Amino acid sequence: MAAVETRNRLMGPRLSTGLIAIYGALILVAIATTMPFLWMVATSVKYDPDIFSYPPRWLPTQGFDFGNYVDAYRAIDMGRLFRNTAIVTVADVLAQILLGAMAGYVFARLNFPGKKVIFFSLLATMMVPFEVLVLPIFLLVRAFPLAGGNDLLGQGGTGLLNTYSGVIFPNLVSVFGIFLFRQFFVAFPREVEEAAIIDGCSLSRVFWTILLPNAKPVMGTMALFAFLWTWNDFLWPLLVIKVDSLNTLQLGLSSFNQETGTRWAELMAGSVMVTIPVILLYLFLQRFLNQGIATTGLKG
Amino acid sequence: MSTLTADSRRAVNVGAAPSLQERWQRFTGSETFTAYLFLMAPLLILFAIKIYPVFYNVFLSFTNYDLFSPLEFVGLKNYRDVFGAEVNIKAIRNTILFAVGAVPIGTTLALVVAGLLNQPIRGRILFRFLFYLPVITSVVVSAMIWRYIYSPQFGLLNYAIGFFGIPPQQWLNDPSLAMPSLIIITIWGALGGHMIIFLAALQDVPNELREAAAIDGAKGWQTYLYVVVPLLRPVILFVVVTYTIGIFRNFGLIFLLTQGGPQNTTNTLVWEVYQNAFGYLRFGRAAALAMVLLFTILVITALNFRLLREENT
Repeated sequence: MAAVETRNRLMGPRLSTGLIAIYGALILVAIATTMPFLWMVATSVKYDPDIFSYPPRWLPTQGFDFGNYVDAYRAIDMGRLFRNTAIVTVADVLAQILLGAMAGYVFARLNFPGKKVIFFSLLATMMVPFEVLVLPIFLLVRAFPLAGGNDLLGQGGTGLLNTYSGVIFPNLVSVFGIFLFRQFFVAFPREVEEAAIIDGCSLSRVFWTILLPNAKPVMGTMALFAFLWTWNDFLWPLLVIKVDSLNTLQLGLSSFNQETGTRWAELMAGSVMVTIPVILLYLFLQRFLNQGIATTGLKG
Repeated sequence: MSTLTADSRRAVNVGAAPSLQERWQRFTGSETFTAYLFLMAPLLILFAIKIYPVFYNVFLSFTNYDLFSPLEFVGLKNYRDVFGAEVNIKAIRNTILFAVGAVPIGTTLALVVAGLLNQPIRGRILFRFLFYLPVITSVVVSAMIWRYIYSPQFGLLNYAIGFFGIPPQQWLNDPSLAMPSLIIITIWGALGGHMIIFLAALQDVPNELREAAAIDGAKGWQTYLYVVVPLLRPVILFVVVTYTIGIFRNFGLIFLLTQGGPQNTTNTLVWEVYQNAFGYLRFGRAAALAMVLLFTILVITALNFRLLREENT
């Protein structure tokens, strides 16, 4: 953006050959990144003869078959899958925001014994990706005390397997989120809080009434990241959920192919329906994405 | 701030010995109390999902365990097995191949696209959205789309390469093309995310530098290559490391598209961990493989820190 201003100031906006080349290159890249989506949408409204035609056709010759969407919805009971995914996603998004904000506030503002050790331990855990720990976390969730027929020691039953809680549990807190909130609170002016504390306001009230309501930009960033992560997550639900009625959308979609052979049109229709909420949320929250990257310089 | 709270409360109590109630109030109003109260839930959960599992995994890697028979200690046997089994060595090699195939091209591409997007152009927000689409798409949806594009009989890709006179390929079913096919999807899927990081960094590069280079007669792309890119070195390092780790973690594409095949050519460490843990119920072996994966990731991260430090001194 700064480059634009310089350019405009120095020579005014103009369409040089260089600029045309830039547009050309950008459009080429945009076609490459978007083409698979257009192909998905085009396929989702085709009748079979067009699907299995070679050479492939972008536009249907047999008319549009929007019934694919209804078929896909029915085939994997998408209403239920949407509900399951929404429950899991909302729980994790809210928890990550609330717990992230609380911990972020503590690390940004309060002094207490053990602060450095705890903070650096948390940062260190960011280097350990979830995929490395699936087995121990799976065993932990399976041995969750007093759940799913387990006794106090976590023996005898299936713990949190095949429950919403089991899916929700490993994504309740994000260290990245804590870090994001901390950075925001560190940069937030202290004057208002100090005045409130002199007036006898407790530290937790300062957090709930002054800092939290002002942290909306980070909440937006966190909501977007947490939503993308849990809504799109595949590996963990795959391990925890073994009954169809509790499937998430991603699980349902992945099982689609096996159940119906190559029903490409319905599969693509289902994919469109699963992706639309994500795109809408991105469009709604994209301004926060930039702020998030600007404050931390992290995470893609 | 700590002094403020403490002082204001102390002032009230001057002279008198504090009652139990007052002491309790002072305690619950203290920073330490509030801090640990607020941290209790996040720390408990993080301990359960991040710290305890690391130690549990180390423990498991020295055992022979499968949920059904009693656990027994086997020492370093699992590690010896990992490095003795050809399939595991191949998994390590495939993991590295995957990263080597995707990271240099993907990072360069992201850097170029960010440079283009940082020019005085219209529609930047639209372009950014179009580039970012694959990033917000789930791995399941991506895999489904690409499976259809790679389809040997009626895939878009075979049709497209037909224009260049290349005969139809088997893509995901061809041992020599399966890994490149996954690499293409990965580059496509990761471009937007890394581009946005580069774009954010580019906007911090002071304009004076560009202008000075322009006055010295440097063309646009020369300025970018010789003036701007060197300034981005820390960000490039960061992207290379997160990209590599991201590929080491890639499970979904392999599960959904190749299941490690054909002929084990897409069998990576993550896939081996999954297979051993949940396919063969060889928990000890899976844990040992996970340790190898974790160790590799830590080494890469440490190297990155070191390079960055050398940069700064």
